[in-house]
Amino acid sequence: MTTSLRTRLILGVIGGMVLLLTVFSLTVYILIQRALANQFDAALVSTARILASSIEIDANNIDLEDVQQMPEFNDPKNQTYYQIWEPDGAIVVKSPLLGADDLPRLETSLGIPAFKALNTASDPKRAVCLKFIPRTENKEPQTNQQPANNKILTLTVARGASGLYNQLSLLRWLLVTASAVTIALSVLIAAFIVRRGLRPLHSIAFEIAAVREDDLTTRIGTTLVPAEILPIKNRLNDLLSRLEGAFQRERRFTADVAHELRNPLAGIRSTIEVNLTRTRDIPEYKSALSDCLEIVEKIQKMVNNLLLLARLDAQQVSLQSEQIRLAELVDSCWRPLSDKAVDNKITFENRIDSEITFESDRQNLSTILSNVLENAVEYADEGGQIQTTVHLEEDSVEITISNTGCQLTTEQAAQVFDSFWRGDPSRKDAGVHCGLGLALVDRIIKALGGSTTAEVETAGIFKMHLILPVK
Amino acid sequence: MRLLVIEDYRPLQQSLKKGLREAGFAVDITGDGQEGLWYALSNDYDVIILDLMLPGIDGLKILKELRSKGRQSHVLILTAKDTLQDRITGLDHGADDYLVKPFEFRELLARVRALLRRSYRKKNPQIKIKDLRIDLTTQKVWRGRMELELTPREYALLEYLAMRAGEPVSRTDIWEHVYEFNSAASSNVVDVYIGYLRKKIERTGKPPLIHTIRGRGYLLGDQP
Repeated sequence: MTTSLRTRLILGVIGGMVLLLTVFSLTVYILIQRALANQFDAALVSTARILASSIEIDANNIDLEDVQQMPEFNDPKNQTYYQIWEPDGAIVVKSPLLGADDLPRLETSLGIPAFKALNTASDPKRAVCLKFIPRTENKEPQTNQQPANNKILTLTVARGASGLYNQLSLLRWLLVTASAVTIALSVLIAAFIVRRGLRPLHSIAFEIAAVREDDLTTRIGTTLVPAEILPIKNRLNDLLSRLEGAFQRERRFTADVAHELRNPLAGIRSTIEVNLTRTRDIPEYKSALSDCLEIVEKIQKMVNNLLLLARLDAQQVSLQSEQIRLAELVDSCWRPLSDKAVDNKITFENRIDSEITFESDRQNLSTILSNVLENAVEYADEGGQIQTTVHLEEDSVEITISNTGCQLTTEQAAQVFDSFWRGDPSRKDAGVHCGLGLALVDRIIKALGGSTTAEVETAGIFKMHLILPVK
Repeated sequence: MRLLVIEDYRPLQQSLKKGLREAGFAVDITGDGQEGLWYALSNDYDVIILDLMLPGIDGLKILKELRSKGRQSHVLILTAKDTLQDRITGLDHGADDYLVKPFEFRELLARVRALLRRSYRKKNPQIKIKDLRIDLTTQKVWRGRMELELTPREYALLEYLAMRAGEPVSRTDIWEHVYEFNSAASSNVVDVYIGYLRKKIERTGKPPLIHTIRGRGYLLGDQP
């Protein structure tokens, strides 16, 4: 099976042409052949009838004088032969031209002609056989004499049919030649049309080839495109749009990462440089080193988050299901944050029933809860509140973490899961804030088969819902 | 020379404050955009170092506001935004210089010094007033052939007077350009430091260079 569209189209067109022409030619040939043969036979029968009617019987003599005079029997081109038999098969008379040959005596009944083609190689003939009752010479009423003279003779008339066969072979030749020429021409025409018809494919291919990987803003088929190629063009352009979007997100993400790393790097660098400008006493060095360490820890956390995000993207994170006591896990995730919460006079209330257990991935769920709680501590107002609640469904569990002091609008709340997005107006703490925490939460939850939503209630209560499937 | 730093990233804030002060500048620092704008509008800073991504208000908005209110302070944008478009936007908003984080501290200092020279229309990083020579880069001062040992505060005072050499400089101007916003010093501290400076400059019995102009302040160089 060839894969070339052009070859397939041309072969299809030619195959169809050959089939059609063959059927057409055969039909034409058979019809014409029949018509000519009928015409020939009709002439032969009329000759035979004339011959039969011109034969007179006088007693037992057959008068053939008139027959000898008939022009048909003297035409050298279309030589016509005859032979007449008695009912018992004895030959009454035959053309002298036949010489030793006999014409066939065919089985037939009175008045109905029978035909036969006599296809000798050199001289093809067609013959017709008739049974007839010859006329008697006396014109008296035949009633009396009828039995005596009622002799049924058999007559065969044959005529050279080479003219007919020549005409038919000419017809055959004409049909075959015309068909061959038609097919040959249609090959050329089909090739031309197919080539022209497929030209838009080539131009599309050319346009696709011109799309550069570093510039995905180009779109295919800016010129007029045939309806058949339109779906391909549209799908390709859709694909290009999606790729462009993905690349843009990737670029923005990279730029954001670079940006988020630049601040802490600038901090470390200038801290070190400034402290190196002169000799200082040990406490000053110590303080500079601990400043640097703090920055490095935050960079490290950010890099870890980035790696985890990359692994989630590459689906390289393995999940292990185990029985989890939720309230305990929330408490253990809160513990490292409690100092900061106390500093900011934030109260924490874990309202999850300590009896609630379900199966999930402990490590990942712990990362999720830590990040969400950290975010809550970061953005809660001084003297504010953080609360965790849970709602159990048949096949899912919904954990809600809420904090007071939110200054986001509902639209902004929907953005909190975007990488590096941060609700600037409410940011109190200047410092490395890797805006990756909630993006990470969203990705891990999705990897666990769940979903996240965030909303802002009146009175500045920010609520984050984590929905996890439960077996 | 008095600088304002508007930068919200605390570790950088601290090292900038330390480094710039040690380089002899009076530095006011804030991490809040609104506060920064208020500082910039209420004082005549020589150079403002401005971060772009700030809580409260965007750095570019501060810059626009400053320029629309006719403030002439030189502004150096110090940011992690590094694209060509960012730099062009920053400069076109009225910034005088643009430095991308992370940066080398020496370069920041050099750029600040360049902006200061531009503020006072000095192309030459060495100022000469009679036989007094001040190297603005190394912050060394000579009278004749002898190098003078000045404290940072004395140097800052002399530098400011030298930048405006030949014209009387009021105590308020000195106060505004040499001292920080909430420094505890009282107003006669200027007179005290002028006294120290005079002593060091005229120590070897050379003719006085700093003159007191009654009612108008001090003048370095020849009296008009």
